This record gives sequence, structure tokens and C-alpha cells, in this order.
Amino acid sequence: MAAHDENLDPDVAQALAQAVDQVDPPAALRDRVLRSVGASPSTMQSQPTMRERAAFPSWLATAALLAIAAGLSVYSLQLRSRITTLESELRDAILRADASNTQLADVRRTASDAQSAVAVLTAPDTARVELAGQTVAPQASGRVFWSRSRGLVFTASNLPALPAGRTYQLWVVTATGPVSAGLLKPGANGAVNAVFNPPGNIPSATLMAVTIEPEGGRSTPSGAMYLVGPAKGV
Amino acid sequence: MWVMLAIVGSAPDRRAEDQVADRAALARMARGDHDALAELYDRHARPVYSLALRILQDRADAEDIVQEAFAQAWAQASRYDVARGAVAAWLLTLARSRAIDRLRSKRARPDRAVGENAVDDVADRAATPDLQLLSAEQVDRVRVALRGLPALQRVTLELAYYEELSHAEIAEQLEQPLGTVKTRIRQGMIRLREALAGTR
Repeated sequence: MAAHDENLDPDVAQALAQAVDQVDPPAALRDRVLRSVGASPSTMQSQPTMRERAAFPSWLATAALLAIAAGLSVYSLQLRSRITTLESELRDAILRADASNTQLADVRRTASDAQSAVAVLTAPDTARVELAGQTVAPQASGRVFWSRSRGLVFTASNLPALPAGRTYQLWVVTATGPVSAGLLKPGANGAVNAVFNPPGNIPSATLMAVTIEPEGGRSTPSGAMYLVGPAKGV
Repeated sequence: MWVMLAIVGSAPDRRAEDQVADRAALARMARGDHDALAELYDRHARPVYSLALRILQDRADAEDIVQEAFAQAWAQASRYDVARGAVAAWLLTLARSRAIDRLRSKRARPDRAVGENAVDDVADRAATPDLQLLSAEQVDRVRVALRGLPALQRVTLELAYYEELSHAEIAEQLEQPLGTVKTRIRQGMIRLREALAGTR
């Protein structure tokens, strides 16, 4: 491997290659590829792809089985007890299917978060702002990477746990006043990692700050400042 | 009863069959069979395109990479050594190599228009033998594990893989100490390996 591949386990590398969000190439690309090696694409039919042989959705199978089980219940007691067993197995299957669907949705959302984060961190117009903990949270610290073209990455540590009904809110303070960049909820250990897409027309900044606000945030800050950092000209 | 179990079962793992079909397609490509290339394209264009798109963040560039990768597969079909493992994994390797080359040349000279590369032998970065495709289940486990990594650990790993930045380059970009970058990569790798092995 090249010197740059220090420590990149080949299995993990393979996994990272396959783990990207799958996107269909444009239909016209197929012809382009075939023509580039001298083929005449008009004579070649498209074969069924791997995607068309996708998994039989387990929720559909389960729903079908539920319908079958319901139909069977008009018959004898023997069948009825069989059905009770089947129904509990089906309930488990549904729970498993729901859990994995949620997981997949979460994974897709987080995968695109991760892509946005990398895009921000590698953008040519990214500015970095260090945020320091204020009197109410001297141990806290934070960092913002903001690319006006690609988005904003926010990380922080040691933020105090939020009381019920409250949230943290990130502000870009400009000459014309503070603009909200997003809401933050720290994890159990006081850490936050978030990716935001602030509006594109925020004027030039002077400061960035995190305040505590009521759940749902506000259009202007009202609560105490927890993190503040200079952002002149950002 | 067993009929119902068959319905509720998960998608069959077709990797072995696809691997056989891919090798047969390569053999036909080596004899100039265009239909064989079309077959390979239909099976693998999506993951190849997706990887190129992820690395380059640009659809036109990603399309170029797909065309180059399959053109290289066509040109090298007769020389492909089956001991190297899955054709699908090889295609992804080609895609990554070319995408990273393109990324680097774009960064070096952003004003330069990037034309189509000649179908030359792009040196395979992962000259590791025995590249095998992972099952959908394994990939899902890794995706979930990636999600569970702290953001900077995940971003560090991704910069190392999708942009092939060195530790020093990552440290400079993220403005982190070099030691921290190495630690994050090591820790991230351990967790992803565990996820692959299914031991988490």
C-alpha cells in the first residue's frame, strides 16, 4: 500500500468502500461506457441488476403471514393453539423488522451527516472558531467549523446536562444581531457533535455563542451564555 | 410451517454466484465480447459510481471515473488474476484509485479542466491479494458502527480512506495534534473491525 495507507486495515477499507450511500448512475452513462470500448449500445439490453433482486421485505412477508394466520382462525381448536404460537413469533418478527427499518433510516441520515461533516471540514472556505466555557460552565469548550458554502460542524465537550424543557442553541452574532444556527442536545457525557446548514445569507460574524433556551429554541437569545468565541470576519 | 419460514427468511447471499458470473464475464471480455462488459456494468455500476461520487462530491467527475474504471477492466480483462479475489472488489479498488488521483489533481490545479484520462494502468493502491466483497449484513454492521463513532473519530477515518490523506495532512486539516489523529484512526479501526467480525 502507499505510504498514506498507514494503518488502513484492508477489510475495513473494503467495508468503507461498500458502506457509502448507494446512488444510481445516470442511465446515459451505460451507453457512454459501452461506446468507450467500441460497442454499439443500442443492441444491448439491460440485465436485471443486483438491486432488482433485493431482499423480500420482511414486513411484507410478516403482513402476509398475519393475513394467513387470521384466516386460519376459523378452524378447529388445534389450529387455534398453533396460531397463538405463530402470532407471538410474528410479533417478534415485526419488532425486529421495525427495529432494523429504524436503524436503516438512522444510518442513512447519519451517513449523510458524516458526508456533510467531511465536506465542511475539507471545504476551501472553512473557518474555525474556538469557543470557551463561560462562568456557568467553566469546564465546557467547543469548536465550530463553518463553511458558508457547505455547512457548519459543531463539537463541544463538558456541557452541563440540560434541565427538562430546555435546549442549547448556537448563535452567529453579527453586526445586525444574533442569528440562530441550530439547537444542540449534549449526550450523557456532555459532548455534542452536530452538523447544520445555516442560511446562506448570514452577515459577517463577530462572535459565536451557545446559550440555554426553552425547548424548541427562540429567534433571539434569552438565556445565559455557556460558550463564546471570537469570530471576527467569519 | 416451513413454507412460512422460507417467506420470512432474509435475502439470499448471492455473492458466490455473482463471483462466478463475474469471472465468466471477464473471460468473455478478454475475447472482445461487449455484452459481457454490459453485464458487468449492470451488476456493478451502482457501487462503483457511489464510491466515486462519495470521494469526488461531483456527479460529472464520478461519471468519468465509472467510465475509466470499466474501460480499465475491459483493457485488463485478460490479465486479471482470479487469485486476486472478487472482481467486484477489484472494480471498487480501481474506482477509488482513479477518484483519489482525480481529487488530487483537482486540488493541485483547480482552474485546470480535467479531461478524460487515457486508459492507462492506474497503479492499484490496495495491492492486497484476495479482495473479497462483504455481505450486505456486514456492510450494515459497519455503517451502524460508523454511526456510533464520535464525530471527529469518524471524520478522521473517512479523511484517511475517502481522500487518502496522510496522518500529517489530517492533523493539519483538522488542526489536531498528530498523536490524536493516529489514536482516533486506531480506535476507529478497532471498532469497525469488531463490527465486521460481529463481535459487538
